[in-house]
Amino acid sequence: MKTPLRSIIGFIGPSIILLLIFMLIPIVVSLVISFTDFDVYAIYDWGRASFIGFENYVNLMQEPLFWRALLNTLYALVVAMPLTVVLALSFAALINREATYFKNFFKVSFYLPSITNTVAIAIVWAWMLNPDYGLINWFLGLFGIQGPNWLGDPLWAMPSVIMLVVWKAVGYNVILFTAGLQNIPDYLYEAAELDGASKFQQFLHVTIPSLRPTIFFVTVMTVIGYLQLFEEPYMLTAGGPLNSTLSIVLYLYRQGFRFFKLGYASSIAFMLFLMIFALTYIQMSARRSEV
Amino acid sequence: MRKALVVLSVVMFLVSLNFGATKITVWAMGEEAKSLDQLVKLFMEEYPEYEVDIQAIPWANAYDKILTGIAGRQVPDIAQMGTTWMSPFGSMGAFEDLAPYIERSEVVKPENFFKGALETGIVDGKQLGIPWYVDTRAMYYRTDLLAQVGYDHAPQNWDELYDAVKKLVENGSRYGITLYQPQDNYQVLLPFVWQNGGDILDSAGNVIVDQPEFVEAFGYYTRFFTEGLTPIAGGGNLFQDFASGDTPIFFSGPWMVSMIRAQIPQIAGNWDVALMPEKKSRTSFMGGSDLVIFRDSKNKEAAWKFIEFLSRPDIQVKWYQIVNALPSVPKAWEDPLLQSDPMIATFGEQLNDAKAPINIPEFQEISVSIDSRVQEAIYGRKTPEQAAKDLKKDIEKILK
Repeated sequence: MKTPLRSIIGFIGPSIILLLIFMLIPIVVSLVISFTDFDVYAIYDWGRASFIGFENYVNLMQEPLFWRALLNTLYALVVAMPLTVVLALSFAALINREATYFKNFFKVSFYLPSITNTVAIAIVWAWMLNPDYGLINWFLGLFGIQGPNWLGDPLWAMPSVIMLVVWKAVGYNVILFTAGLQNIPDYLYEAAELDGASKFQQFLHVTIPSLRPTIFFVTVMTVIGYLQLFEEPYMLTAGGPLNSTLSIVLYLYRQGFRFFKLGYASSIAFMLFLMIFALTYIQMSARRSEV
Repeated sequence: MRKALVVLSVVMFLVSLNFGATKITVWAMGEEAKSLDQLVKLFMEEYPEYEVDIQAIPWANAYDKILTGIAGRQVPDIAQMGTTWMSPFGSMGAFEDLAPYIERSEVVKPENFFKGALETGIVDGKQLGIPWYVDTRAMYYRTDLLAQVGYDHAPQNWDELYDAVKKLVENGSRYGITLYQPQDNYQVLLPFVWQNGGDILDSAGNVIVDQPEFVEAFGYYTRFFTEGLTPIAGGGNLFQDFASGDTPIFFSGPWMVSMIRAQIPQIAGNWDVALMPEKKSRTSFMGGSDLVIFRDSKNKEAAWKFIEFLSRPDIQVKWYQIVNALPSVPKAWEDPLLQSDPMIATFGEQLNDAKAPINIPEFQEISVSIDSRVQEAIYGRKTPEQAAKDLKKDIEKILK
C-alpha cells in the first residue's frame, strides 16, 4: 500500500518544522557565528560583526583557562561516571531484591534528588558543606576528624561538586537499571543456580551481560550529561576557588552571557559538540564490535 | 450581521477609550515592580493623558529577559536597570541618550542628584540612565562586643579597623569581620582601593592597578584572609553570625537595617551603622537602580514625563516610604522621615562619598579577572604585588 505524500507531511511535518526552528537552525546559526567576532556591540546592530575565519578557535586553543576548564570537566567525568553507574546499579539491585524491606521508601529517596530543583539543592548543600557550621564537618567531628573547607579549598571544591552531581544523577539511573533488571527472565537465574553458581557469580555472569544495553545507554547519557556540567559549580562555587571548578559550560556561559562574546562562546560550544560527538561515537563503535 | 456590528462597536468603544491616553510600558524588578503601582496612580491623577503599564520581571530572570528583549527588539518604553548593568546593555546602543531631555527639563538637572549616582548612568560619556534610587555600603558593627575590646566608637580608620578585628578574634569571636562575596569580590575590594586614592583606570584610560595605592589596599584586604580574621569562602548565615558575635563587623547596604531589626531583634541596641573606615577618604560602593528609555520606544516624550515624575523629591520620599529605597536626590533627604532614623541618616551621609566602578562594556570581564586574582592573593598563592601585576596584564589584554 502506498501512503500518500500528503498524509506523510501531515504526520511528520509539524515535528520536522519544530525540529528545524528549535534545533537545526540555531545549531547552524551558532556555527556561522563562531566564525565572526559577534560581541556586545553586534547584538543591537548586526552590521558590526564581521567574519574572522578560525580566529576564535585559534584564540581558544591558546587560552589557558579553556584548557583548565577542559581538564576540570574531564576530571569530573572520570570520577563521577563510574561512581554513578556502580552506585545506580547497586541501588537498583537492592530495590529489585525480593527480600528488601521499605522498597518504596528507597525508591522515593533515590529518585527525589533528580526531580528537585538544582538551585534549591545547591543552597542546602552549601550549608551542609560549610566548614564551620556544616552538617558534614560536624559529623566528621564526632570521629575526631577535622573536615576540610569543602567549597573553599581548591583541592576539595571539585570533589564536593562531584559528590553533589553523583547524588543527583543516581536516582534517574536507578530507575533505568531497575527497568533493565526486571526484564531479565527468571529462568536464566534458575539455570545458573542449577549449575551451582553463587549469588555473586550469578550477578557477574547473568545480570551484567543481560544489562549490557542498559549499561550502554546509561554510560552514554551520563558522559553527555557530565560534559555539560554547569549548574552545580555555577551555584556552589561560581567556578572558584582558583578556577578549580570552572567547567567548560561555565566558561562558555561567562564568555557568552556575561561578556557577550557570542562569537567566541559559539566556538566553545562547537568544541564541546565535537567532543560529545567523538566520545559517543567511540562508545557506539565499541559496542558494535562487541555485539 | 447585527451581532457582528454590536461586537465591532464595543471593540471600537474600547479602542477609543485607550486612544485618549498614551500608554507607557515599564519593566521593573522585585519589590519595586510590586509597589510601583502606588506611584503610577499618583502619576495618572496628575497626567490623565498618560497610562502606565508596569510589567514585573523577577530579578533572577531580568538579565536574560532584557538581553533577549534587546536582541529581538521587543522592549518596553522604560526599564529599571541595576547600576552594574548599565554598561553592558548601554554599550549595545539600545538606550536613548538623555542629554537633550535633561537640557530642557525643570526637574531632572545634574545638580539635583548625588554625583556618584549620576555617574552610574553614564556610559561611553553619554547620560543613558537617570538614577532612581541608590544604595551604598556602610559598616555594621556590634557596639557591645567592640566595647569589650576597648572601642566605645566604630573603628574610624584602616588601622583601627584592623586592630579592632584582631582584638575581637582574641576576645572569642570566630572571625572579626565578613568580607568575602562569593562572586563579587571586587565590590568589597574597590572601596578600599578608592579610600586609598587608587583606581582601576586613570582618567587617561591607563591601567593603574600596579600603583602603590592599589597594591597597598589590596594587601590590606588580603591580610584579613591570610591571617584568618575573615571566613574564606563559606561563612555561615550573616544574621546568625552577627547575632552570635561570630562576625561582629560587616559592610552592607541600607536594606540590612530593617532586616536585622526584624530577624535578630535579640541584639537590638547592641549594634549600629557607621561610615566606612578612613584612609585618605571614606569612599564606599555606589549601587542602586537607574531608569532608562529604550531607543526603540515610540513614546519617548511620555516616558520622559514619567521619569521626571519619579525624580521629584516629594515622590522620592514617598517611594522611600513604600519600599525603603534610598532617594537619589539629596533634596529628598531633607525630609524628616529620612532624618529621624539615625541609621538611615548615616547612609545619607555616606552617599556624599560613594563611587561606582567605571561604566565600560568590558567591566564584567574585568570584574571576573579581579575576582580570580583576588583569590590567588587571599589563598596565599601570590603576593598582593604579584597578583596586582598579573591583574594589570589581564586588564590590558581585555581592553586591547
